Amino acid sequence: MKNFIYADNAATTQLDAGAFEAMKPYLLNDYANASQPYAFARVSKKALQESREIIAECIGAEPEEIYFTSGGTESDNWAIKGSTFSNNGRRKIITSTIEHHAVLRTCEDVEKLGFSVRYLPVDSLGYIQEDVLSEAIGNNTRLVSIMFCNNEIGTIQDIASLAEIAHKNGAIFHTDAVQAVGHFPIDVKAVGTDMLSASAHKFNGPKGIGFLYIKNGTDIISYMSGGSQERNLRAGTENVASIVGMAHALKTNIQTLSANMEHLRCLEETLLDLLNENHIKFVRNGGSVIPGNISLSFAGYEGEAILHRLDLLGICVSTGSACDSKATQISHVLKAIQLDEKLARGTIRISFGKNNTIQEARCMAEALCRILK
Amino acid sequence: MKIDCVICGKEYLDKDTLGINKKLLGESVENFYCQACLAEYLGCTVQELIDKIEEFKEEGCTLFI
Repeated sequence: MKNFIYADNAATTQLDAGAFEAMKPYLLNDYANASQPYAFARVSKKALQESREIIAECIGAEPEEIYFTSGGTESDNWAIKGSTFSNNGRRKIITSTIEHHAVLRTCEDVEKLGFSVRYLPVDSLGYIQEDVLSEAIGNNTRLVSIMFCNNEIGTIQDIASLAEIAHKNGAIFHTDAVQAVGHFPIDVKAVGTDMLSASAHKFNGPKGIGFLYIKNGTDIISYMSGGSQERNLRAGTENVASIVGMAHALKTNIQTLSANMEHLRCLEETLLDLLNENHIKFVRNGGSVIPGNISLSFAGYEGEAILHRLDLLGICVSTGSACDSKATQISHVLKAIQLDEKLARGTIRISFGKNNTIQEARCMAEALCRILK
Repeated sequence: MKIDCVICGKEYLDKDTLGINKKLLGESVENFYCQACLAEYLGCTVQELIDKIEEFKEEGCTLFI
């Protein structure tokens, strides 16, 4: 029987079995609309409150600072549009060239409405330099939005320093932490961010649910119009089962965070050591990266070919370049770090998760050696 | 142009077979395999190659048009 190795955990993760069990009662029995005043809704209301408290504790926030959304994309949209449209007179957003499309496309939308957007460059490791932000920011800057760590190359930014620069200039700071929450220690107070986006399915929770942390006192308007849920800021009946699943998954990951991180570093070492032992030439992209995220470039190869050949061996990874109907398109992140085109075309992203084993890392290395020799 | 399988000598490899060779071995590939020999070389089944070909066609990949 063919192996199946899932190593695309930056795309999505397997739902935690405990989270699934925790969700079931709210799908089958306790299905009340949490906004209703009758007794049947009490269990749902209590579950929402407990989930909010669990999530807040996991990131060092207050429960009333957690707003449930449909996921990372909605959180990013709300953070950017909700803060810029609150209309305090400032009309400029600063972000980076390596953000997720949920941020980049949202900024483009806001730009079309007359706001200006500055896209900061990054260095070859994917870092945003503090002096570059200091030079770009001004008294017209409303929002600085910089991702906590990059989804393609894994580079972790110095969010605390960048947030400090934003605050010194009177701007709001937002971070898209979709790749970091549940995988890396985060304390929103220590980091100093005003807003933080997260998505449950990236940390073994269910899909279609996430949250936006909004620091108390942050000037932001509602993004979804409708009911009065989430303290009048995010309309829509609460997805209680998924919220419970998200809280359970996050708590589980945070409880084992150190062990998970250590395990993921071991998987990285196993894979890279075996590639080196077999004299496979590669470049690892990124600087100090989120554990388990391994962006590798192989000169003279096509990342898409490697991806499909691994797939035929039962191994799931991602690529940094993809062929559309006309040509090979190199990702905006690899372009931003100015990776040589030959390397960029031969880039794959392996993203191990806590459920991957050392044996799977070895199988992955063997498969890559077979393809690249 | 007549292209044959480098392993078994099967003649006149069709466009889909040439396309899947280029897709999985690289566009600059010079030696082509028939689907059976390619499957054996890659450690998969012929059906898995056919499934890939169909997916690439659905995506509009010009190698298969």
